[in-house]
Amino acid sequence: MGSVSKDRIRAKLKAEGTTVKVLLAHPMHTGRAKNEAEELIPAEFIQDIRCLRNGQEVLTVKCGTATAKNPYFSFGLIGGEIGDSIEITWVDNLGNKGMAEATVK
Amino acid sequence: MRCLNWKVLANSIDHNRRLILKGAVSSTTLALVVSSGLLAPKRLLAHWPKDAFNAQTLEDALQVLLGETEIKSNDKVKFKVGSPPTYAVNGASVPIEIQSSLTGIEQVSVLVENNPFPLAMNFELTSETQLPLKSFIKIAEDSNVYAVIRAQGKLYSTVRFVEVDIGGCG
Repeated sequence: MGSVSKDRIRAKLKAEGTTVKVLLAHPMHTGRAKNEAEELIPAEFIQDIRCLRNGQEVLTVKCGTATAKNPYFSFGLIGGEIGDSIEITWVDNLGNKGMAEATVK
Repeated sequence: MRCLNWKVLANSIDHNRRLILKGAVSSTTLALVVSSGLLAPKRLLAHWPKDAFNAQTLEDALQVLLGETEIKSNDKVKFKVGSPPTYAVNGASVPIEIQSSLTGIEQVSVLVENNPFPLAMNFELTSETQLPLKSFIKIAEDSNVYAVIRAQGKLYSTVRFVEVDIGGCG
């Protein structure tokens, strides 16, 4: 799987509710892998992802090192309208932060 | 500081009462500030259940995360791992999908028994969230993968055995 350059969200309104797909750009190093020089790559992974709809928290994801590189996840939301704002914020174990935003289509 | 004030004002009941009220207000304000998310970054890190994610056996992870190790298997939890199911060519990226007919789901956890740290992901749902949940996880070697759902205070789980060609936890 290739690297993606930035965090992306797709949110679509369907008959059964809103479906949100999230793809984050993150290497998710476990701290056990080695690079070409046989040195350990230090751990760097997303720990906490928050999803908000119109500013209200709807889902919290806690990740360990076993979440795949460039974390992807999708989930459903009950109801929703076209134009709702979906916001994702994440924090990794080194304190790096990221944010992405999208509107429901 | 407050102790000193107390002593000084100890002879006046009125003053004392005011001080107590004042103290109560300030502690509520503090609680509000904390819960409003002004301290969000610190809170985010502090809330990561470190002990559960660093647990090295399935039992420990379950014990720390959910407070129980004996969880009954339940067919109300539909759980797909791998593509095609139960098989993964590349352990670094194994698709998972969790679906359930249960209502009032509060928490969904994914655990890989033979990983160095079994707990892979933990979803905390609200009343607005609905399944299915889909994601990708890393699996080090052939292993049982558990999906545990907490719904209305009860725990339900499903287990799937997955064969992995290339381990994905290096």
